[in-house]
Amino acid sequence: MKTETEIRQALRDWIVKTNKKIRPEDLDDDTPIIERRIITSLQLMDLILMLEKLSGMPIDAEILQPGAFRDINAICRNFFVTANA
Amino acid sequence: MVALAGTVTKLCNASIRDYINPYSYLEWPESVDIEQWSTSPELISLYGMRVYESLSPAEQKRLSFYEAVNFFSLNIHGEKSLIEGLAQRLYRKGNDMVSPYIHHFLDEENKHMVYFGGFCARYAGKVYPDRKMVFDREYAPGEEDVLFFAKVLVFEEIVDVHNKRMAKDNRLVPVIRQINFMHHRDESRHLAFGRLLVKDLFERYSPTWSRETLDGVREYMKNYITATWKEYYNPAVYKDAGLANPFDIQEEALQAEVTRAHRKEISARCIQYLIDTGILTELPQL
Repeated sequence: MKTETEIRQALRDWIVKTNKKIRPEDLDDDTPIIERRIITSLQLMDLILMLEKLSGMPIDAEILQPGAFRDINAICRNFFVTANA
Repeated sequence: MVALAGTVTKLCNASIRDYINPYSYLEWPESVDIEQWSTSPELISLYGMRVYESLSPAEQKRLSFYEAVNFFSLNIHGEKSLIEGLAQRLYRKGNDMVSPYIHHFLDEENKHMVYFGGFCARYAGKVYPDRKMVFDREYAPGEEDVLFFAKVLVFEEIVDVHNKRMAKDNRLVPVIRQINFMHHRDESRHLAFGRLLVKDLFERYSPTWSRETLDGVREYMKNYITATWKEYYNPAVYKDAGLANPFDIQEEALQAEVTRAHRKEISARCIQYLIDTGILTELPQL
């Protein structure tokens, strides 16, 4: 199990790699990645797969609200409640 | 428009002629023999890869069962969104000509879910979860309809190639062959409708769009085809089939040349259609 710090870094790396335009220094843990279209709805599928891999738990997108992916803070809160920093 | 009107009448008549009761048409066996093929081996997502070749025949057949559950699960999720979108468009202003067929489309999609859901619930005890989400946003006139029906078409074209091949594959468990056959029979009508409607909508609305909207639609459709294929490579399937490191297998499978060639072959007709209509101007990354 990765620590919360490692998970946050993995998420930052994935967002920067996926978006291709955003610079790492412009991405904070409270940057709204959906609202600012940094991540598209189709790319969210890859994010869900990555979260499943990191958390070891399946995710059902049907029961989730887009707010669950609002920013890195929300993702950690919604999918990694038990991880420790 | 005239071609679409004539096709709608013909398709409605065909749907009335082929009307069936999904609860009596299919006989569900007590169990499915997972020592038989549930998916045609050539259509298994890992076919041709080293990891697949390393499996015993029994393990390959076990994998083929979970691949079938995934295929049917994808169909359930795809058809749920389709039903929702079709219901919203029924009798909407401007849709008078196509509404009679939307009634049949809705009815037939619901019946398909009876088959797909019936199989998953009876023999696997589950449906694999959906990983797709759509965000609300504002659209240019006609953009949402073009995207909705073009996405339906892509999804159904890829599914239909699988259905056609598996409906004829005598190696498969009979109930799976039958479900594929029944789905293909209805889908061939839905596809005929979809091809005409998408072309009609795109020709009607795209000249009114800004360059930015048109480019956005093209980019989205290209990415949608890539995303649709990714769902056929489900780590949960590999895990259920007993394979180690399912997420690594999925990543490797999406990069393998042998599976890329498979995706190109299956999607060729659909991509050609999108290029011919002008919806795509470049090939998607497969």
